[in-house]
Amino acid sequence: MSAPATEKLLSAVPGLGGLYANALAKSARLMVRAPGRGPTTTPQVTYRVDGVRPDAEQLTAYQHLLGEPASDVLPAGFVHVTGFGLAMAVMARDDFPLPLLGMVHVANSVRQREPVRIGDELTVRAWAERLRAHRSGTQVDLVVEVTRSEDVDPAWTGRSTYLAKGQTLPGLALLETDSATSSDPWPEGYGEPAVRWRLARDTGRRYAQVSGDRNPIHLSALTAKAFGFPRAIAHGMYTAARALAAVDAARVSPSEAFTWDVSFGKPVLLPSTVALSLRREGGSMQYAGWNEQSGKRHFHGALTPLP
Amino acid sequence: MASTPENTTPAVPEQTNPRAAVIGSNRIPFGKAGGAYRSASNLDMLTAALSGLVARFGLQDERLGDVSAGAVLKHSRDFNLTREAVLGSGLDPHTPAFDVQRACGTSVETVWAIANKIALGQISSGIAGGVDTTSDAPIVVSDRLRKTLLRLSRAKTIQQRLGLLTALRPGDLAPVAPNVNEPRTGLSMGEHQAITTRRWGITREAQDEIALASHRNLAAAYDDGLFDDLITPYRGLLRDESLRADTTAEKLAKLKPVFGTNGANAADASITAGNATPLSDGAATVLLGTDAWAAERGLPVLAHVVDAESAAVDFARGEEGLLMAGAYAVPRLLARQGLGLADFDFIEIHEAFASTVLTTMAAWADEEFMSSKVGLPALGEVDRSRLNVAGSSLAAGHPFAATGARIVGTLAALLHQKKLNDGAAPSVPVRGLISVCAAGGQAVAMILEA
Repeated sequence: MSAPATEKLLSAVPGLGGLYANALAKSARLMVRAPGRGPTTTPQVTYRVDGVRPDAEQLTAYQHLLGEPASDVLPAGFVHVTGFGLAMAVMARDDFPLPLLGMVHVANSVRQREPVRIGDELTVRAWAERLRAHRSGTQVDLVVEVTRSEDVDPAWTGRSTYLAKGQTLPGLALLETDSATSSDPWPEGYGEPAVRWRLARDTGRRYAQVSGDRNPIHLSALTAKAFGFPRAIAHGMYTAARALAAVDAARVSPSEAFTWDVSFGKPVLLPSTVALSLRREGGSMQYAGWNEQSGKRHFHGALTPLP
Repeated sequence: MASTPENTTPAVPEQTNPRAAVIGSNRIPFGKAGGAYRSASNLDMLTAALSGLVARFGLQDERLGDVSAGAVLKHSRDFNLTREAVLGSGLDPHTPAFDVQRACGTSVETVWAIANKIALGQISSGIAGGVDTTSDAPIVVSDRLRKTLLRLSRAKTIQQRLGLLTALRPGDLAPVAPNVNEPRTGLSMGEHQAITTRRWGITREAQDEIALASHRNLAAAYDDGLFDDLITPYRGLLRDESLRADTTAEKLAKLKPVFGTNGANAADASITAGNATPLSDGAATVLLGTDAWAAERGLPVLAHVVDAESAAVDFARGEEGLLMAGAYAVPRLLARQGLGLADFDFIEIHEAFASTVLTTMAAWADEEFMSSKVGLPALGEVDRSRLNVAGSSLAAGHPFAATGARIVGTLAALLHQKKLNDGAAPSVPVRGLISVCAAGGQAVAMILEA
């Protein structure tokens, strides 16, 4: 798969607040629409923004929240945050086949060829692809590429997989069943946690401030209830980014060239205490976030150096 | 580089520099958090301990080479804590001072720093110490309030100021109490040690045994008068407030575990309030100098500082126990000095937790651990009759930065006493070993010799 050849140039990465408001209206339309009437393919367009310069203040706030030193190197999770608005804009298009709100972020995969630094001028591209049927709905990938203005190849590529639960679209192939088909990297449990996070009630609001992702399921119990969650839930990418900080990417790959994968399990209902277990495997570091009381898994993933 | 001829003995580094002498020490009895010292500040307690040292050794108006001390939980207004204490201590105000912080290893580190200056011939006398209060710990405001207040001080217009103030939320105004959780792991020291305890299979009984010995040994040392020359009473306290001379194995066995009570292994949790150090307040100081400086003033030389070693472990990703750095520092120190555990008459392992003592000793004796992780041969077993013979932190309490100076002061007195009592030849050394673990996966080890 590759980016659709048709590019639409935007002047800036769209803010997310307005997108969520539009998405709310659009999701409502999609929910009441008769099946088979709407688009059944991803939009054949790539969104592009040139001249994106990461903001130092926002970067510092992000790094402090995630427990990282405020260095001039953008954590891979911050690059995700930088391009997220553009991916959202693709999903908020009228011809996007699934309702943006209520979609569940089930997995995320980042390939960082080289680290991005403050002062770099970036071109950000985003598109949707791999729309496919899933046993409990429909999945789609949103791909974001971040390229430094002087480069040809992207320094950073992120693939976010979303599941629209209960949404079925006609004519879609069942491309893959689930991550369950691949073997579980933690078959014997998690051992003793290396790290324990005590996540306060306002964890979602705080991450929303530094990431711009103000999805209502993360902001308050009231807004989360509207989408079927008993309490506000932590952003998946917040938990994955904290795991990345605990692993310390520079220690796994001194040149900070790596793949960073995560699969999300049970949502983290706030407030909550999450145990993080780490395990070396060859050159890579496996991580898993879990609940010590219930033993349930919130996420697992790996940081693997690129050859 | 020239090669060494084969049939000559290897060159032993020549002892060109004098070793620093431990001349004496003074501390105040350690208090329990919220106890006798609840309204005393770090500066109050450090000044009290320092003034007592000045009085004991007749140092009034003496200009010393340097003074080094520190506190772990330190208010920003105490940026020059040690210098302020010197100014209130009776020492000549021309005596300089500097602050140091290496968590619970702080005052082994200050002894090391002053001893090095003396050994290098840069100074001929100095004082090392440390202080901590958990009763009077600084409380900080939330980051959002702090940042808003800082921005407010830079704001130029009323509109800017109002804008900043209205952005504050009620929750931002709540004070933040200090905690000593490890910043990188979010685990408290006790939670970390609970994991290490399990990993080494240390039993509850073994931990309670260490705790019981600590109380009995400390009480006996008080009764024997060991501390008569080491402690100055303060705020009505004559002995350490945590000391329970009448505690028993049965009483200790009844206490409920407080750490490691989460998750699947909760049933075997074994760290209790009885075998973990209590939160404490207190201060301790040590007087160091050259032998000549002591002789000029008619002061004794209790022992000499031989060598020291610090170590740190990779605990942040769970690869080693937080408080296990002593298992690395001590073997490295002994290897450098060509000594084994049997060469020591006294072994002082700081009782952060009873199980810290046990896991450290277990690691020293473990061939596999020592070869794979430390890269040195195993040290063998510790002779328990030489371990913490005058009690340690479980009974005395543990005001973080004061503990190292307490141990150095006590050990120097023990070594001196043994040297006198044994009546051995002056050339036969009596040695003591110290290992103090510290937050951040660190430890400091030191050898004293009389």
